[in-house]
Amino acid sequence: MKKNLLSPFLGVLAILLLFSCVKDTDFSQAENVTLTPVVELDLIYFNAEAGEFFDSITNTSILTLRDTTEIRFLDDTGIQESLVRAEFLFNFTNSIPRTFEVEFQFLNEMNEETYREITSVDAGTELAPVLTQFIDNVEGEEITQLTMADRVVISVTIPSSDASLQGVLNLQSKTTYYLEIKERS
Amino acid sequence: MRIISVFFMAFGLSVAMAQNKQILYGLEEVPQSLMLNPGVKVPQKAHFGIPFLSQIHINGGATGVSTFDIFGNSNVDINTRIRNKIFEMDAKDFFTATQQLEILNFGWRSSEKEIYFSGGIYQELDFVVYFPKDLAILAWDGNRDYLDYKFDLGELSATADLLTVYHFGANKQINKKWTVGARAKLYSSILSAKSTNNKGSFVTSLSDEEGPNIYQHRVENADVKVQTSGITSLENSSVGKVLGRAFFGGNVGLGVDLGATYKINENWTASASVLDVGVIFHSKDVEQYHATGSYTLNGIELIFPPLSEGESTLPYYDDLEAEIEREVPIDTINSGYSQLRPVKVNAGVTYSFGKFLGGEKCDCLNQGLEREQAIGLQYYSILRPKGPQMAATLFYERRLWKFLQAKATYTVDPYSFYNVGLGAAMDLGKFNFYIAADNILHYGNIAKAKSVSLQLGFNIKIDQEL
Repeated sequence: MKKNLLSPFLGVLAILLLFSCVKDTDFSQAENVTLTPVVELDLIYFNAEAGEFFDSITNTSILTLRDTTEIRFLDDTGIQESLVRAEFLFNFTNSIPRTFEVEFQFLNEMNEETYREITSVDAGTELAPVLTQFIDNVEGEEITQLTMADRVVISVTIPSSDASLQGVLNLQSKTTYYLEIKERS
Repeated sequence: MRIISVFFMAFGLSVAMAQNKQILYGLEEVPQSLMLNPGVKVPQKAHFGIPFLSQIHINGGATGVSTFDIFGNSNVDINTRIRNKIFEMDAKDFFTATQQLEILNFGWRSSEKEIYFSGGIYQELDFVVYFPKDLAILAWDGNRDYLDYKFDLGELSATADLLTVYHFGANKQINKKWTVGARAKLYSSILSAKSTNNKGSFVTSLSDEEGPNIYQHRVENADVKVQTSGITSLENSSVGKVLGRAFFGGNVGLGVDLGATYKINENWTASASVLDVGVIFHSKDVEQYHATGSYTLNGIELIFPPLSEGESTLPYYDDLEAEIEREVPIDTINSGYSQLRPVKVNAGVTYSFGKFLGGEKCDCLNQGLEREQAIGLQYYSILRPKGPQMAATLFYERRLWKFLQAKATYTVDPYSFYNVGLGAAMDLGKFNFYIAADNILHYGNIAKAKSVSLQLGFNIKIDQEL
């Protein structure tokens, strides 16, 4: 009895341990692993009062307001490699009875322009503010240019202004980042 | 991605629940069964483990996912499989790995008081990482489709330890019924990292009409801590210095193992042990990071300040970063902390039957398995950050040959309901060899196993009668 059991037992143990293996697997598939998160992130916002377009001291119009901010993550190597598409959404709510031209100029560290977008904003009134929506879809070669920038300059231009101008130009904006994160060779 | 691949391969190829050695528990022919129950019956007179070879133990496991689930040949795209697994698994699922290497193990029975003294040194690497499901979803899918969903930062939970353990214990059969034992342990921590009991959430939601921008990105009541010791100086340390910590050069701790075996009657035996009731005091090379607070991000507000020629505008981005750092500060703390060891509990009940060894009834003390066969039940638990992880084992043990003791186990644990293990202890003269492996049903293709565990070792045993 004991003899009969011994051989099979040792045999089974030896087979299990010596011939154990990993099969029907393909670890090279790891190269195909791709994360594709879609990230929603607020961008910039502002409230430009009508009065900001007129200098009451010198009694002259200020036709263009300009400001800039860094967006340091934009030219991060990881973003440069992974961002395949960016969709900007700009919601302008205008209660100033003037149209506007708004320019978004993206600059790199050397202050060189890498990407630019211009849109116009409809005129509104204080009683009936007007919503103008601008969607800018950036992909392909433009993404490469966009992700070379680390700052954006916003220029808001009014065709004319005077001391009596009332109202506010409000901007709310966000970006949808479509990422593709994978091993790069 | 290569890291992910190596990670899964490590689980697949390493050959259970981390640290559950259900096959060795109660297997008296193996001197290392003393390590699992200091109060086990010890049949031999003395033993000396072959240095560095007396116990090699490796195991790895993952609940909810196997290597095959991800890397198996399939027509389904690997990314679909990973995504499906992310949603199948939950935050109680975990990945774990343990490796132990005995450097020294020895024991001898004192002739006067019949106490079996044992001692030794072993090195242990142990880690457990719980699956942070919400963060995995955030990384995989992003936040666009999860507006108003609170991603739980509390799911972050992991510990990792590399240490050396010095131990010395005593075991005594105090009467025909009771065998008891205790062991003192000195821990010498080499590296340690821990992040548990975290809290907080991250949520993106549409702003209401009063909101300044389209979204609100909120970090709510964050309380996230990472404790490390022995890690910050790694960059500047030589290998020799790091290894020196294995010999009390780093952080030290104290602990005990306790165990007992009770012979209920001729057939029934009960046993239990509690291991690693101890604490490590981390005081050297300690760095703790603690992030707390709440913050709502709305983007960057431009205010179009009137500027003179050449004057630069406000540093909006720097101000934003400073504001976040102010509201959710990450404090770096160098004060020490103490860390409880993961306490393990083993218990078992055994029914012995079959022929008496030696062919006749024997009530001699310190005999190994008195009967030829035994069946029984075992229980195991280990205290982990999110509570105890438990396993139950049904076993059958048999002496197949005078020199060969075999044990088969069927274990139910968080990994699977189909864990069959097999172990053998061989005494060839004074030379003792043992090997134990579980999840053997998957040895045809380890990739399909959610966990694998292997222990083997070589000892010199001097039997009682010699």
